[in-house]
Amino acid sequence: MSQHQALNKLGRSGNPIIRSIAFQDKVSSSEEKMSLEGAVNKTSIMLFLTVMTATISWNFQGPLMSIISMLGALAGFISGIMTFGFYFFFVGWIVKPRPHNAPRTAPIYAIGMGFIIGIISQQAESFFPGIVIQAVSLTFFVATSLLLAYKTGLIRPTQNFMLMIFAATMGIFLTYIASLIYSLFTGNHFLVITGNGNMSILFSVAVVCIAALNLVLDFDIIEQSAEQGAPKYMEWFGAMALMATLIWLYIEILRLLMKLRSR
Amino acid sequence: MSYLTLFLGLIGLFSAFLFFYLLKFKASSKQTNRGNRIRWNSYIPYKDKKPNKGKKKS
Repeated sequence: MSQHQALNKLGRSGNPIIRSIAFQDKVSSSEEKMSLEGAVNKTSIMLFLTVMTATISWNFQGPLMSIISMLGALAGFISGIMTFGFYFFFVGWIVKPRPHNAPRTAPIYAIGMGFIIGIISQQAESFFPGIVIQAVSLTFFVATSLLLAYKTGLIRPTQNFMLMIFAATMGIFLTYIASLIYSLFTGNHFLVITGNGNMSILFSVAVVCIAALNLVLDFDIIEQSAEQGAPKYMEWFGAMALMATLIWLYIEILRLLMKLRSR
Repeated sequence: MSYLTLFLGLIGLFSAFLFFYLLKFKASSKQTNRGNRIRWNSYIPYKDKKPNKGKKKS
């Protein structure tokens, strides 16, 4: 009996609670099951919606579009919280994850984020011509490289890997929040975020690495959910998680390229 | 448009196609057949909440 078969037969944990029926992997057979192909299709739909709205906000700049983009970003943020939940250190889950909301929130997220990405990209392109093509290309290049590494088993996400990435992501989030609060009082952001010095570039490289490693967790969510026959709405959840990370990675790569080109 | 931008654009286009193509395939057994995988279903409670709003009451 192979190790995998033995683990499946006996259960992966000796803990009776974890081995109980509440944590069994399969869902009832009457429900429609998630598939890898379905998750890919949903990711394609979301990418199409994001690119479409980004194109609109790129081409129709003005005060009205700025308001629409701000509302779009807000809608995207709320959709994200309604689906992924909101966790904070020492407090725990402030809003619990609700993956069954994903079929409704994912398209709103894609459309909303598209508007704000269009404006950011257009601004960057006006200062540094050609930078958007470079950022988009690098984003897909990094994502494909990591996908290849994940599918072949070169990178194997474990519990410790997840905790490390989660802590680093929260750290970045807190740094951005602190910078935002600091700017409300002083009018300046932290130089390590907006500057173009060596430390600032090093910080951006680290953030790009963390954002890229978050992709590995998204691939694992999609792969495992499909493997375990999760409900159909998990396709939207996986696609939304992947798109959120791709958007974050794109913005960080764009920021890094802007820092490098402004030196 | 500089040659670097054109070159990166072509790499990006190829990468995007490859990304969506590879995403459809199952991961290797090296990835899936191991005991230290993250148990996502204990973090993402998809079994607790089922979308049954469409069900009629009898």
